[in-house]
Amino acid sequence: MSGKVIVIGGGVAGMQAAATLLGMGHRPVILEKNTRIGGKLNDWHRLFPSLTPATEVLEQLKSRLDGVEVLTGTEVQAVGSGEVTTTDGRRLEADAVIIASGFEVFPAELKEEYGYTLYDNVYTTVDIERMFNEGRVCLANGAAPRSIAFLHCVGSRDEKVSQRHCSRVCCITGVKQAMEMKGLFPDAEVYNFYMDIRMFGPGYEEMYREAQEKYNIHFIRGRISEAGETQDRRVQIKAEDTLIGRPLKMTVDMLVLIVGMQAARSNVPFAGCEGIRLRPSGFLEPADSFCSNVCSGTPGVFYAGTATAPKNVGESINEGTAAAVKAAGYIESGKGDAGR
Amino acid sequence: MDGFQQDILTYYDHFVIPFTVGAAVLFAVLAYKYCRWFVKLPPADRSLTLRGLFSRKVFGAIGEVVSESLLHRRIFRVNPLLGYMHMSLAFGWFLLIAVGWVEASMHLTEGYAPLHAHVFYKYFVPEPTGAAGERVLSNLMDLLLLFVLSGVALAWFKRMRSRALGMKRTTKHVVGDRIALTALWFVFPVRFLAESAEAGLKGIPSFLTGNLGEAMVGAFGSQFVSGFSTVAWWTYSIVLAVFFIALPFSRYMHIFTEIPFIFLRRFGLRSGEQKTTYDNFQIEACSRCGICIDPCQLQADGGLNDVQSVYFLRDRRYHKLSRRVTDNCLMCGRCEAKCPVGIELTALRLNSREKFSALPADDRYAYLGGVDRSSGSGRVGYFAGCMTMLTPRILSSMEKIFEAAEQSVWWADRDGGICCGRPLKLSGEAAAARRMMEHNRALFAKQEITTLVTSCPICLKVFREDYDLAGIEVLHHSQYILRLINEGRLEVVRQDTAFAYHDPCELGRGCGIYEEPRDVIRKAGSIVEADGNREDAVCCGASLANLEIGEEVQQQIAAAAAVRYRDTGASVLVTSCPLCKKSIGRAFGKTADIAEVIAGSLGG
Repeated sequence: MSGKVIVIGGGVAGMQAAATLLGMGHRPVILEKNTRIGGKLNDWHRLFPSLTPATEVLEQLKSRLDGVEVLTGTEVQAVGSGEVTTTDGRRLEADAVIIASGFEVFPAELKEEYGYTLYDNVYTTVDIERMFNEGRVCLANGAAPRSIAFLHCVGSRDEKVSQRHCSRVCCITGVKQAMEMKGLFPDAEVYNFYMDIRMFGPGYEEMYREAQEKYNIHFIRGRISEAGETQDRRVQIKAEDTLIGRPLKMTVDMLVLIVGMQAARSNVPFAGCEGIRLRPSGFLEPADSFCSNVCSGTPGVFYAGTATAPKNVGESINEGTAAAVKAAGYIESGKGDAGR
Repeated sequence: MDGFQQDILTYYDHFVIPFTVGAAVLFAVLAYKYCRWFVKLPPADRSLTLRGLFSRKVFGAIGEVVSESLLHRRIFRVNPLLGYMHMSLAFGWFLLIAVGWVEASMHLTEGYAPLHAHVFYKYFVPEPTGAAGERVLSNLMDLLLLFVLSGVALAWFKRMRSRALGMKRTTKHVVGDRIALTALWFVFPVRFLAESAEAGLKGIPSFLTGNLGEAMVGAFGSQFVSGFSTVAWWTYSIVLAVFFIALPFSRYMHIFTEIPFIFLRRFGLRSGEQKTTYDNFQIEACSRCGICIDPCQLQADGGLNDVQSVYFLRDRRYHKLSRRVTDNCLMCGRCEAKCPVGIELTALRLNSREKFSALPADDRYAYLGGVDRSSGSGRVGYFAGCMTMLTPRILSSMEKIFEAAEQSVWWADRDGGICCGRPLKLSGEAAAARRMMEHNRALFAKQEITTLVTSCPICLKVFREDYDLAGIEVLHHSQYILRLINEGRLEVVRQDTAFAYHDPCELGRGCGIYEEPRDVIRKAGSIVEADGNREDAVCCGASLANLEIGEEVQQQIAAAAAVRYRDTGASVLVTSCPLCKKSIGRAFGKTADIAEVIAGSLGG
C-alpha cells in the first residue's frame, strides 16, 4: 500500500525522510520555503568532526531524491492529520505529514554588547563558514587576523535573551573553526571563551584535545561581558577568567560569536494545530522523549530533525529515517496504531 | 438624683450600650495609634508638623480633606459611578451625622443630650409638634439616608459586577475586613427599618421613613411594629458597635487616617529610605479600594495577582510581609500615579526591602579605592552607565553627537566605571549603594565639569535624588541633545519616518521628563503616540527593581507592551533608556535609542 507523504522542510532531515520513503515505495512531496533545498547545509563549509565537505553530504542526499516532487517557495501555515495548508492558502492532502522545518540561527544583534553589525571585525560562526566557502577569510580591511577570539554560547544558555537551552553543536563548531583558522593563519593567536565545553559526540573530545595540544588554541573559562572597538578597528573584549578568578581585558583583531540554534518562528503557527505542542524553548515537543520521539500528538503527523531540539547533522539524518519509517508504518497499517 | 443623672436617664435605653462601648473603643484606639505614631516620628518630621500647624498649609489640608476624604474627587476620575459610590457613603454619612446633630439639638431640649441620643434620635425624640422646621429636617434626613442607601446598593452591585464600576478586578479581603464590611452593609438598611418603625409609631411625617412606618403600622398593627422596632434598634446598635470595634483593625481605618495623613503630607512629610511612623499614616490610609490592581502589568500580563500595592500595604500593616511580595514589584509607578489617596507606594515598597538586605562586608567594596578609568576633559561630562555599555550603539551615537557639536567631553566610564548605585538601592542594599554613590560623587567633583550627561534614566534618577552634585547640572541625553539642536550646534535632517515613542518609567514618572525626548524625535521625523503613554506609559518588563520575576514574565510584559506600539503602525520604536531598548526591542523588532535616531539624521 503506497501513500503520499508531505515533508515540510528540505534540509538534511527532510531530504533523508523523503529519500527513505521513496525507497519504501511511497510518494514523498517536499515543501521548501526557500528557492532551493539543502537547508542550512548550503551555508556550511566543512562538517565536524571529520571535516567532510558539506557539499559532499548534500550531493549524497540529493542524489537519492530522483522522482521526489519538490515544491520550493512554499511555506506552511497549518498542519492537520492528512492535510497541510500553505501560507498562500493552498490545501494539500496527504496520507501522512513529516515536519522537518529545522531551526533558526540566533540573531547575534540581540546581544548588542558584543557589537555584531556595529563593529567592523565582529563575526558569527555563520559568517566564517560563508567566508570559508567564498575562499577568502580576512578582516574588514582585507588584512589577515593575527589574533582571533571565539565566544561560545551566544544565544544559548542565556536567560537574558530567552534562550535557556544548550544548542549542543556550538562547542564543537567553535573548536572546529578555531582549528581551521589556525590552519589558515598559523601565526595567529586563537582564543576560545567558554563556560563549559560539552563534547557529546564521537570524536569530539578527541578533536578538543587536538585543538589544545596540536593547534595550541587557548581555552579560557569565562564569558565575555562586553566588547568595544578601538581606534584602529580592533575589538577590545572584557571577560573574566573564572579559573583564576581575575578580570581580563584584551584586544584582538577578530571576534567570532558562536551563535546557537533557536526555535524557528514557523513553529508558532504549527503550535496552533491539533496535537502539536511547543516546549518552553519554542521547539516542537514530541509525544514522548523515548519510543515516540518523532511522533506528534496527532496521528499521521511526525517530526524529524531540529524542529524538536538542537541536533547535529548525523542525528537529524537519523531522525529523517525514523520519521519516514513511522510514517510508512502508519500508512501500511491502514492509519492505525503502527504509526505511534 | 441630681440633674445630670436625670438627663442621662431621660435619654437612656439598654440598647445604647453596644453602640457606646463600640464608639469608646474606636476613639480610644484611634487616639492611642495616632499619638504613638506622632510621638515616634523623627524629630525633623515632628518639627515640620508643628510648624505646619501654624501655617497657611492648614487651609489647603482642610480643603483636601473635604475634596478627598468626603467627596472622593480623585475616584470620580477613575470612574464616575465608583466615585459616586464612595462619595455617597462618605459624604452622605457625614451629612447624616451633621444634619442629624442639628435636628437632635433642636428637638432634644430636655436637658443635656448625650452622644447616643443624637445617634438614636428618632427613638428619643418626643411626639412631633408639627412645626414646619421639623418636617423639613426629617425629610432632609430621609433624603440623606436614601443617598447613603444608594451607595450601599452600588457597593453590593460592585461585588457582583465590578466592571460596571470601571474595575476589572477588586481586592480580595481578609476576614477582619469582611466582618467590618458586612456590618457596614447592614448599618444603613437596619437604621432605615428602625427609623421607619419608630416614625410609624410616633407619627413623624416624612416621605421615606414616615410613609414606610405608617404603612407598617397599618399592615401589622402598632403592637407588632413596636416589638419590631425594639429588635431593629438593638440590631442597629450592635452592627454599629461591630463596625466601630472592627474599624481600627480593618481597612476602614482609612476613613479617619486619611485626615491626619493629608495634613502631614501637606506639611511636607515624605516616606524615605528608612521606615518611620509616617509610613503608618500612609499604610493605614489605604482603603484597599483596589484601584492599583488594574494598572499593574504583573497582574495584567504576568498573571500575578497577590503582589499588588494593595496586598503589599495590607501585608506590611499586619506584619505578614513576605520577601516574595516585597520584591515582586517593577516599581514602575503606574499604581502610584492612579492611587486616589496619593500614598507613596514605591517609597514604602523600597523601604520595606531594607529589612531583608544584608550589610556588605567591610572589604567588599575595597576595590572601589583606585578606580578611575575616566578620560578626556571638558565642561561636559558623560556617564554611560552599565546598561549603555551593554548597548554600545547608544554610546557610539553619543560619540558622534558630541563630535558633531564639537563638544569636548570628559568620559566618566567609557573604559569601565562604577555602577551609579541605583540597582543596589532598588534591591534594598542602601548601605552598599551609598558606597557606589560616594565613589562616583568624588570622581565627578574632581573634574571641572559643569554639566553631566547620562543616557541612562536609572543613573539620571539617582544622580538627581541621591547625589549632592552642587554646581553640576545633571541632564538626560534627550535634554542635552535638544539643547544642542536649539542652540544651533547640531544640524538634524528631518526624514519621513514615523516613530513610536516608549516612555521609560524612570525617565517619565521617575524624573518627569516627557516632552524633551518627543521634541528631539520631532526634529528627525514624526511621532505616532501609542495607547497609554506619558504618565500612563507601560513598563518594558525588565525593571531592575523586580527581584522576583524570571525572564518569562519579563518577556510577557515586554510582548504586551510591544503590541501597543505595533498598533500605532510605526515601523521604528524609539526609547531613551538602554534597558527598555534591550527588553522591548526583542519583542518589537526595530528599536532604537533617541541618540541613535539623531546620530543617524545628522546633517552637514
